[in-house]
Amino acid sequence: MTTKAAGRASAESTRAYRNMLLPALIAVTAFGIVPLMGMFALSLTDYNLIKGSSGHFGLDNFFRLWQDRRFVNSVYVLAALSLLGVAFQVVLGTAVAVGLQKIVPKWKFARSLFLAPYAVPHIAVALVWLSIFTPTLSPINAFFDLFGITVPTMLTSQNGAIAAIVIADTWATYPFVMLLILAALNGISDDLDEASALDGASRIQSFFYITLPLLFPALLMVTLFRFIDTLKHFPLIFVMTKGGPGRSTQATNFYGYVQTFQNSNVSYGAAIAVFLFVFAAIVSFYVARLNVRLTNG
Amino acid sequence: MDDKSFAYRAKKASGIAMMLAFLAFAVLPILWVLILSLRPATALFEPIWESPTNLTFDNFRGIADSGFPRALLNSFLTAGIATILSMIVGVPAAFALAKSRLRGKFVASWVLLLLRMAPPVGFVIPLFLIYINAGLIDTYPGLIMAYMTLTLPLVVWSMWTTFAQIPNELIESALMDGASLAKALVLVVIPAARPGVVAAAILGFLIAWNDFFFALIITRGSTVTAPVSIMNFISSDSVDWGSIAVAAICVTLPIIPVMVIANRYIVQSLSGAVKG
Amino acid sequence: MKLTRRGTLSGMAATAAVLAAPMRVRAATGEINVMLFAQPYTQGLRNIAADFEKETGIRANVDVVGQDVFESRINLTFTGGTGEVDVVHVPAIQAQKWREASWIRPVDDYLDALTSRSDLLKGPMDSYLVAGQQWGVPFAAGVGMMAYRKDLLDRVGSGAPDTWADMLAVAKQIHSDDVAAVALRAAPGQGFNMFIFPMFMRAYGGKFFADYVGGDLTPAVNSPENLEALKIYIDLLNNYGPQGVGTFNFPEITASMQNGQVAMTIEGSGVVSLIIDPATSKYADQMGIAVPPGGPAGRSPAIAVHGMGIPASSRNPDGAARFISWATSTETVRKIALNEPFIDFVNGSLARDKDLVTKYGNIQPDLLNVRVAALEQTIGHYRPLLPNWDEIGAAIGENVNGALNGLYSPEDALEAAQDEMEMLASF
Repeated sequence: MTTKAAGRASAESTRAYRNMLLPALIAVTAFGIVPLMGMFALSLTDYNLIKGSSGHFGLDNFFRLWQDRRFVNSVYVLAALSLLGVAFQVVLGTAVAVGLQKIVPKWKFARSLFLAPYAVPHIAVALVWLSIFTPTLSPINAFFDLFGITVPTMLTSQNGAIAAIVIADTWATYPFVMLLILAALNGISDDLDEASALDGASRIQSFFYITLPLLFPALLMVTLFRFIDTLKHFPLIFVMTKGGPGRSTQATNFYGYVQTFQNSNVSYGAAIAVFLFVFAAIVSFYVARLNVRLTNG
Repeated sequence: MDDKSFAYRAKKASGIAMMLAFLAFAVLPILWVLILSLRPATALFEPIWESPTNLTFDNFRGIADSGFPRALLNSFLTAGIATILSMIVGVPAAFALAKSRLRGKFVASWVLLLLRMAPPVGFVIPLFLIYINAGLIDTYPGLIMAYMTLTLPLVVWSMWTTFAQIPNELIESALMDGASLAKALVLVVIPAARPGVVAAAILGFLIAWNDFFFALIITRGSTVTAPVSIMNFISSDSVDWGSIAVAAICVTLPIIPVMVIANRYIVQSLSGAVKG
Repeated sequence: MKLTRRGTLSGMAATAAVLAAPMRVRAATGEINVMLFAQPYTQGLRNIAADFEKETGIRANVDVVGQDVFESRINLTFTGGTGEVDVVHVPAIQAQKWREASWIRPVDDYLDALTSRSDLLKGPMDSYLVAGQQWGVPFAAGVGMMAYRKDLLDRVGSGAPDTWADMLAVAKQIHSDDVAAVALRAAPGQGFNMFIFPMFMRAYGGKFFADYVGGDLTPAVNSPENLEALKIYIDLLNNYGPQGVGTFNFPEITASMQNGQVAMTIEGSGVVSLIIDPATSKYADQMGIAVPPGGPAGRSPAIAVHGMGIPASSRNPDGAARFISWATSTETVRKIALNEPFIDFVNGSLARDKDLVTKYGNIQPDLLNVRVAALEQTIGHYRPLLPNWDEIGAAIGENVNGALNGLYSPEDALEAAQDEMEMLASF
């Protein structure tokens, strides 16, 4: 093949590739980018569903954010929910995946059972755990009552309520982590383990020194994906705590909901959303770069 | 071997105990919902071991007569169609991202990912205003388009990683045989990436199936989805736990067989994705 | 379809354009859409909506959704102004806000044609009277009532406590590990703990504003009276409440009363009727009812009026008015009260209706009478009727709940609530 022909072929395929990419970009722009621009535009106004707008434009909403104690509080709540939640999900998901692979490889049916919570929609997850954390209804409280033990109420203290949401969130999403880690484990050859066993390393040592480092890219990916999702915490808070006790579980996204839907403060709610979005965009930038690096080798 | 005997078995046992504990955490809440769904309203608040035979199917009967079955169907239709459309649009895009040397590829991928970042609370107001203007509130097309903002990025992203593992030679040989790029994609690449295709479709479907917020805002009576419909069992005087439990089961059950079948595919396809 | 780029890219302009844009037109005019949230009355109404079509030939699509769902949807629905809703559930507490936003239209023109106008009680009717115009027609008035376990109170020689202080004294005597003395709504929210807590405030002479009736809306929640009220509320719940009461809302209270885990509560009459009903409650035969406790400054039972109104954007206001007239007619309400557990009716003559007296008398002989007695002691502005009460009520409620759960002291909670009210007022 001459270089000229190759050049033509590659120009053709470039066009073909572009045509393949275009519909998705158009769809994303229509369904996504336009509303997103609307969100930014709205955050610069002082539009309120009830009072309307004075026509004033500016960054006032963003300056107000930093003086708003409730907003600052919501960021702390979000940090607690996200960091704890992601930590538990990643640790549990990894532990289950590794356990299924190394400790109980014969539990084929259990694999599906471990996945089951992932099939439950989040709103149902929230209702299920609300029933478990309601002392009058809870089977846990009833069980320990048999032995005269009073189980403390989770939802009435700040730490308890945060723990309750983290537990429910962990239950619902560790299977996602488990799936990804199982996949990654499939790609890691058993020979390495055997080799290290010959070197006299214990199984636990071999896990920490051999398996874990190989899992690192997968762990990083799954952690970032889960982190981004936890920024959007909504159904669990909406159903389980309504932001209480007090305001101790009003995470940022939920606070945005309160401002937008309860207080009709649409522009301020949009500003809160923009804040979250920008933060997530920074995180996603790194995910995207990581992915390009991992897939392009 | 001798030295393995005690210490090894103790370790093995503690490992199994740990796995059993995890399994209990995964399964007991589901068991609890099953119990809840079978309890009559009068026995809801007494422990199951006090009246283990006091069970009823009334909750199931009650829900059959409510608007819930319709909502379940709506969920299926909208999540399903959104997934299919996202696959049609998203798979070629992912292929282009994975295999072309287009400039701006990175930006395109980032834009796709950005959409996944947008907090629905801010996003939904402009979306609502556009929908009002276009008459899309409480319509299937409206909900399907909203779901595509969730499913499309997911499909593109997971297919991208799948396609990246398809050896270039496979495509080149197809092109050599005179096939167009599109033909090569449909006839050669997609069959080779089948586990990834199944996995992407299922993950996309799940994320739309899971949605609560979009449906909360842009549906009304006729297109309401199952997750929103569940909330209707909470009235301003009481919470109908029995019906909620049944609804939770109904909304989960159809997914479980899908998950079990897909389990294999998802692991297969993802294992390539994370190997790098 | 007009596109929304007019001059600037502002969200405001977009909204304006959206409001002006031509909307989807419904095919049939002989059809109305009704949007309500779940309550015994609304569910009962949906079940008999076919009767309306039979009578008038107008098809009514009655959509009854959960309250959370309703509240998330309603503001945007109004803002869109698509005319997709013809009859809307209007809690009286929202009437001012929705009027100020021009979301609902006055119904004065239709009042004369109301089937049962003369039978509708004046108090609930007037809670929709704003600036000389009527903005809705009531169908229910939930009123605060006490339900208590007669057997447990008898044991310590007490009847229904008449004041909050009495209640505290009784609570001390009857509280045990098995049966907690008292449970009240504690979950934060304008319609949750702030449905209950003002009963404490008003009993001790506390107020939300310096002089609401006189028009002086200077915030006044940090008064010593309110502090006393908050302290007794906290004392009652934290020391004599069931485990986890700090997040209790009406469902938990209903359940714990029905199952004998709690001895006394003050709840809305709709909830109380479930607590004392043998069909749903294990301890129904032990239950007594009474008007809520008062205090040094009197008694002010909680009240929540619900009604129906017509959105400003409705395309079929005449059809909507006919629906409201039918739905609030004594005949229709009677039917619902017979079909459902519904005692919150506002049609005066129904309290003497033979069939209803029999039905509810079987549950508790004086149920309807106690309800009327409580209703007579209510004041219209139990919760201030202000356009931004949602926001103010939520802010106070969250601070009260925080104090209850020990996040901050009662003093700090009220100061914080005061600060936030001032901020909201200045905004």
